[in-house]
Amino acid sequence: MVWGAWICLLSPLAAALLITLGGRRLSRRAAGYLATSACFVAFAGAVAAFVGLLGRDASQRQVVSTAWTWITGGSYQSGLQVLIDPLSVFMMLIVSGVGALIVWYSIGYMDGDAEERRYFAYMSLFVFSMLLLVQGGNLLLLLAGWGMVGLSSYLLIGFWQERPSAIAAAKKAFVMNAIGDATMALALFLLIQQGNSLEFGILGGQFSSTVANLVALGLLGGAVAKSAQIPLHTWLPDAMEGPTPVSALIHAATMVTAGVYLIVRTHAIFEQAPKIADLAAGLGALTLLVAGLIALVQVDIKRVIAYSTMSQIGYMFLGAGIGSYPNAMFHLMTHAFFKALLFMAAGIVIHALVNEQDIRKMGGLRQLAPRTYWGFLVGSLALVGIFPFAGFFSKDSILAAAMDHGTYGYVLWAAGLIGTFLTGLYTFRLLFIVFWGEPSAFVREHFHPLGRDTVAVALAVPVGVLTVLSIVGGWIQFSPWWHPVETWLQTVAEPVVSPASWQEWLSIALSLLLGLSGIAVAWLVYGVRRVAVPRLAFAQRTLEHKFYFDEAYDALFYAPAVFLAKFLRRGVEQPLIADSGRDLGDDTRDLGGIVARAQTGLLRTYALAIASSVAVLAIVFVAVK
Amino acid sequence: VTTLLICLPLAAALILWVLPLNPVSAGSLALLAALAEIGVWVQLVARYDFARGGLQFSDRHTWFKDLNVSYHVGVYGFSVWLIGLTVVVMAAAIAYAFWAGRERARAYMGLMLFLTGAIVGVFSAQDLLLFYAFFEAMLIPLYVLVGVWGGPGRMGATLKFVLSTMAGSLLMLASIVVYGLSQHTFDLVQLGPSSSQWVFLGFVAAFAIKAPLFPFHGWLPDAYRESSPEVAAVLSGVVSKAAAYGFLRIAVAKFPQPAHDFRVPILALSAIGLIYGSLLAFRAPDLRGVIAYSSLAQMGLITMGVFAVNDLGLDGSVLQMVNHGLVSATLFLLAGMVERRALTGELGRLGGMARGRPALATMLLTTGVIAIAVPLSSAFAGEFLILAGVFQRGWGWSVAGAVAIVLAAMYVLRVVSAVLHREVGPAVSDSALDLRPAELGVTVPLIACLLALSVWPAGITQHSFRGDHGAADVAAQFR
Repeated sequence: MVWGAWICLLSPLAAALLITLGGRRLSRRAAGYLATSACFVAFAGAVAAFVGLLGRDASQRQVVSTAWTWITGGSYQSGLQVLIDPLSVFMMLIVSGVGALIVWYSIGYMDGDAEERRYFAYMSLFVFSMLLLVQGGNLLLLLAGWGMVGLSSYLLIGFWQERPSAIAAAKKAFVMNAIGDATMALALFLLIQQGNSLEFGILGGQFSSTVANLVALGLLGGAVAKSAQIPLHTWLPDAMEGPTPVSALIHAATMVTAGVYLIVRTHAIFEQAPKIADLAAGLGALTLLVAGLIALVQVDIKRVIAYSTMSQIGYMFLGAGIGSYPNAMFHLMTHAFFKALLFMAAGIVIHALVNEQDIRKMGGLRQLAPRTYWGFLVGSLALVGIFPFAGFFSKDSILAAAMDHGTYGYVLWAAGLIGTFLTGLYTFRLLFIVFWGEPSAFVREHFHPLGRDTVAVALAVPVGVLTVLSIVGGWIQFSPWWHPVETWLQTVAEPVVSPASWQEWLSIALSLLLGLSGIAVAWLVYGVRRVAVPRLAFAQRTLEHKFYFDEAYDALFYAPAVFLAKFLRRGVEQPLIADSGRDLGDDTRDLGGIVARAQTGLLRTYALAIASSVAVLAIVFVAVK
Repeated sequence: VTTLLICLPLAAALILWVLPLNPVSAGSLALLAALAEIGVWVQLVARYDFARGGLQFSDRHTWFKDLNVSYHVGVYGFSVWLIGLTVVVMAAAIAYAFWAGRERARAYMGLMLFLTGAIVGVFSAQDLLLFYAFFEAMLIPLYVLVGVWGGPGRMGATLKFVLSTMAGSLLMLASIVVYGLSQHTFDLVQLGPSSSQWVFLGFVAAFAIKAPLFPFHGWLPDAYRESSPEVAAVLSGVVSKAAAYGFLRIAVAKFPQPAHDFRVPILALSAIGLIYGSLLAFRAPDLRGVIAYSSLAQMGLITMGVFAVNDLGLDGSVLQMVNHGLVSATLFLLAGMVERRALTGELGRLGGMARGRPALATMLLTTGVIAIAVPLSSAFAGEFLILAGVFQRGWGWSVAGAVAIVLAAMYVLRVVSAVLHREVGPAVSDSALDLRPAELGVTVPLIACLLALSVWPAGITQHSFRGDHGAADVAAQFR
């Protein structure tokens, strides 16, 4: 079990190192297979750890394995250790499993790119970092994984490094995440000050409410940045500049959901800071609405899905914030399946249309790519939460749990229900525009179907597997009747809300109804086009500018930082500090000229003088002794 | 062993100056001496008893009996690491200078070796006057190295550098004399704590200029820009650490009360320097400017750690001294390699160098990533400990540090993408080669050191100060 966890963690790292050191001695295809097999080995390790835990009594399911002491500061120390418990194994399975499928898919998608090796090295590095994040046995290692996924995300978003837009997006993602890292680090400093330790266990200790609030707030800052929740969300849509499998793996299935994992992992501190937990839930609700609205007007196929990711993570934040941890994790899992599926199906479309992502140029792809259409349809139904697809089981139970959280819970619940309607609307808007109708001129001209070679296999098989998972993946829990996920996670994160049966059924009925009506509206407007798209110039402009977040941040933070830097450079550094040195130099030279006309003024004379006086001093010392 | 560490490079320098060698054999001899120096150091690490800690391998010969001045050298746990940093960075710098083929190789290499001996002397001197002599002896070779082999603006740069440093040194000399005479000894181990604020300020002034701290960094941009890359690497990587060492070994250890009284202003200057340096690095127009100002920022951070005066801060700052030494030396050498290819360090004229140059891209990216202090890197470990330590002196200091972390991400990524990514810049020709094996031979060991430290930063933090709880009681460490 312990060795399974270590193999799981280290095999992707080994692949990354091998590809980097191998360089050109490794063929491009070999790099791809190496990365893929490393991820499958990691998955096998995760399964081994899972089986090992299953064989134990529920109360014994927590094993910490320390390799060595990583860092010390006086009596404070943190080890390089992995934690194997139900929560980390749950995440390990998702990360390595979905990761392996997506890396495999990349072999097809990245085929022919000049720098495939670099791509696969980065991908392996990412999988390692993500596993470190979920397996890290203390808060410091969690933060380490946290930063490393940020780094690999930066590298992969900016993979096509000659595109200025990709580089700008990568930098934006890194800097916004660095803000989150910084607030998390501050929270950890406070914990060290209070308890001189960063073990997870310390979070359960008794803190004053101020300390608990500050620590929770700091952690929430990190979670919000990583998971692209308002107000630190603007990097995620831009991150779609990266290759599509990257979007599927990092910006849908795994990394962006790390914030949810963080809240669940550190739930003890959030339970001591209920206001901050409510804030997390509120931000989630706000994000799911705002992102759902923005997704309605986007015209880039990947950006629509990116906004829907933000919106779905909003649901998870909502669930984690009100204390319904197992449901949040369950939705994280099903979301990983169907969102990866949607991205990868979209990737096949983009691949077939020679890298075109504008949905206004698409249409009628149902006839040309029927299997992709079916995969996309399953993913969309799962996303909207239609019975019996995966999203149905996980999303509704979050909404039901919200009803058990007082008046505030009902507000969140209502927001979630409205979100369901929006989800149906934007998802099927995308589906109808891209796949229905007659093939557009652009599609007829550029579409080239997949062949039957390895490329096609690598593209098709993972999509097929995820299609199946998006259907059956949700069946492992149906909250009114049976709860295997909840039971599994119980020892780590016991939920603090337990909705009544009528609340469960009411949520299910309403969200199904609203989801279906969203689909129906989309069908009327975009499917059969019976109703024209309503024209609301102001609303449309606001949505197209994404509620002006980017513009506001530019004006509030970036521009002042640039201005301040320029001011310091022109106003302080050059006149006061650089020139003071020069004046000092000039004055001394003048003084020297007056006092010692005999001096030549040559620097090497001075050097000689100093050197000889030191020598004389040395001789004197020796002589006196 | 300590005396051998000091004298080996000095002797090699003397041989170089005396014997009429041709440039190749002069370079080889210098490199050999530098490598032998590393060998001696490895042996020192192997034999130093970290469990016992304290002063070891000491060597003492009385000079002025009535003034209690002596030749007294020896190493503490943390000075072992600083000496290690010195010998490794100096070897890399000498190797690079050898490969790049500096004119008048004998003189150049001799000066580099002389500098090595002087810096090792600073880190191991246990007598105030001896410390002063070594501290000043560092200046001589640097003065010539910048003034003779530097770029077009070298005269102004040297003059500024030497004058500001000497101003600080004079204040320190005055302090040393007053302090030593009042205690009737100049021996650092025997000197008792003093509460004189003026004497303390004299020392602080010297170190603040040498480090440099804001606002005493007037000499820094020019000196780092005009000197040859390997000299800049040594200046920012190693020489600046002599100042941080001085803060730790003298200012904090011998003046507990004044260090406590002046904590807020010194922390404030460090924090300002940290943010100010980061902001300027963000707007600096050229490669070396960015590294120079980031050095200013990092020295602010290290000083913060020292003046936090607690376990976390001190352990962290020793680790970060080594990290920053390695990082900034590597960055300056890489900057030199880029400038060699493009004939300019202006960021606006560079770009697109990653394509077809995987080794350069990998090296620059790896070093850059460590410079950002991405978690799991050794620089992260150091910064984390420092900020956790200074947090206990007031959360505001750590917030300033956290802001600087975000700014560091901004300036490092700016440099990385300006050099490596986007369109190919006008100064970059297609014929510019990837890193040559010799260049890799210089940078790879430095980066390997950084990666090894990233795997096990506790190697330094556990082995710097005596015992578990000792570092907070700083003065007790040095008995």
